[in-house]
Amino acid sequence: MNVGKAEPHVAPDHSDPAGPPVVVRVEKLVKRFGDTRVLDGIDLAIRRGEVVSLMGQSGGGKTTLLRCINLLEEPTAGTVEVGGEVVSQDGESLHRASRVQLRQRVGMVFQSFNLFQHLTAAENVALPLLRVGKVDRADAVRRAVDLLARVGLADKALELPARLSGGQQQRVAIARALALRPVALLFDEPTSALDPESSQEVLSVMRELSTEGITMLVSTHEVGFALDASDQIVFIDRGKVAHAGAPRDVVFGSASERAREFFAGFVRYGNGNG
Amino acid sequence: MPDHLASFGPFRVDWISWAPTLGNGILKTLEFTFASFVGAVVAGLLLALMRESSVPPVRWLARIYTEIFKNLPLLTEIFLVYFGLASLGLRLSVFEAGCASLIVFYAAYLSEIFRGGLQGIAAGQREAAHALGLSEREVLTRVVVPQAVRLVLPATTTMLVDMLKSTSLLITISAAELMTVGQLIASTTFRAMEVYFVIGVVYFAMCYPLSMVSLWLERRLKAGTPLSPRRRHLIAQVRLAMPAGAAGGLR
Repeated sequence: MNVGKAEPHVAPDHSDPAGPPVVVRVEKLVKRFGDTRVLDGIDLAIRRGEVVSLMGQSGGGKTTLLRCINLLEEPTAGTVEVGGEVVSQDGESLHRASRVQLRQRVGMVFQSFNLFQHLTAAENVALPLLRVGKVDRADAVRRAVDLLARVGLADKALELPARLSGGQQQRVAIARALALRPVALLFDEPTSALDPESSQEVLSVMRELSTEGITMLVSTHEVGFALDASDQIVFIDRGKVAHAGAPRDVVFGSASERAREFFAGFVRYGNGNG
Repeated sequence: MPDHLASFGPFRVDWISWAPTLGNGILKTLEFTFASFVGAVVAGLLLALMRESSVPPVRWLARIYTEIFKNLPLLTEIFLVYFGLASLGLRLSVFEAGCASLIVFYAAYLSEIFRGGLQGIAAGQREAAHALGLSEREVLTRVVVPQAVRLVLPATTTMLVDMLKSTSLLITISAAELMTVGQLIASTTFRAMEVYFVIGVVYFAMCYPLSMVSLWLERRLKAGTPLSPRRRHLIAQVRLAMPAGAAGGLR
């Protein structure tokens, strides 16, 4: 039953002890909602600068896994470590101040952007700097505009979210998530709510971040992105890791039947898009 | 009564000598409105939060309160508070009784408005704020409340105008507000049409600007115009930091 255990979760070069330090480590993570085990013993390790794509059917637990890492959900059991610090163990998670600190070190980008609707793009990015980063106003403004420039939106700094396209909103959300210089960025299906053109615009920003050495864990259905921008694909099926490894291995030659079915359409027709 | 005024068109009442009385009535009306509105907003907010409570009896209590006081006529509530409580030995002053009944009545309505405002904010807004590492308090003060205020402002100011007009019912307990003063002038001068016409104009002159201000506020909030000087300053700083030639955005 435990398919995940039978296969190597981590490609050989990732287990090299001399490599960059592990930034996010998840061990035997379990999350139950009532009687449903949404996560059923997940193991995962992301080293600094790595891009890991989480793939699998919707409802398989990808979003829950991401939300357990920054404690938007309480893990039921198992261990979550961020930057070498234990944030959850055996169902006991960080509280209050330390939880807030954890979240400052992990940025998150949501499927539905979740920009603060009453604030302009620049204020959305500046808010964490002012409130959490305790940066003074002039500095926060400068950094917010710089971050918007990084996602190609400096000229939209004073627009309200409602006046931006979906792709632009998501890029602002990425800038906001980067504001506190997190050790890792979590992306929860960042392009699922976007049309193909906007998706490409967001994916190209994400590709750029990956080349800049930003550590990212990306839940996505974009096989093209997962193949050429990530160091590792973790295929999740019904709350377990069905296959984890180098992108080409997972997409083109997985031993997991579910993974083969999942990627079949792409392997047959979709090669080369994205 | 001076003759030159007595012959001013259809107006026969000496309004100059009545001015101080009228002025006191206006002041009293504003006092009732202001005190009751503040009270009703606070009570309404409390009730709205109770309606969202995780403790069922707290929710029920707020629900029962809201349903009862929304469905009683305001006049009945005024009589219950002023005459009813007095008969039980709790004798409130006219001002206390007037404010209490207005608060009890409008808190019920405002709580419904506020509840709608709180529910109108997508869960994702709170989550994004939490994910950024904002404290519980900052999530509330920086993200939830500012947006909720924008949502409830139009309906709330409508209630304020409605409340100002409803203070006229306090004539039944001789509250010395504008309507009571009107009745006094009318019964002294026997010029009911003229007096109540003037009283109506005064009510209108108080309510219409309030409605206009609320419309203006609503439009500005919808456009995202910064209202606080802090925010205006921040936006000016952003404009300076933006690349030259970038158009659009907030003024």
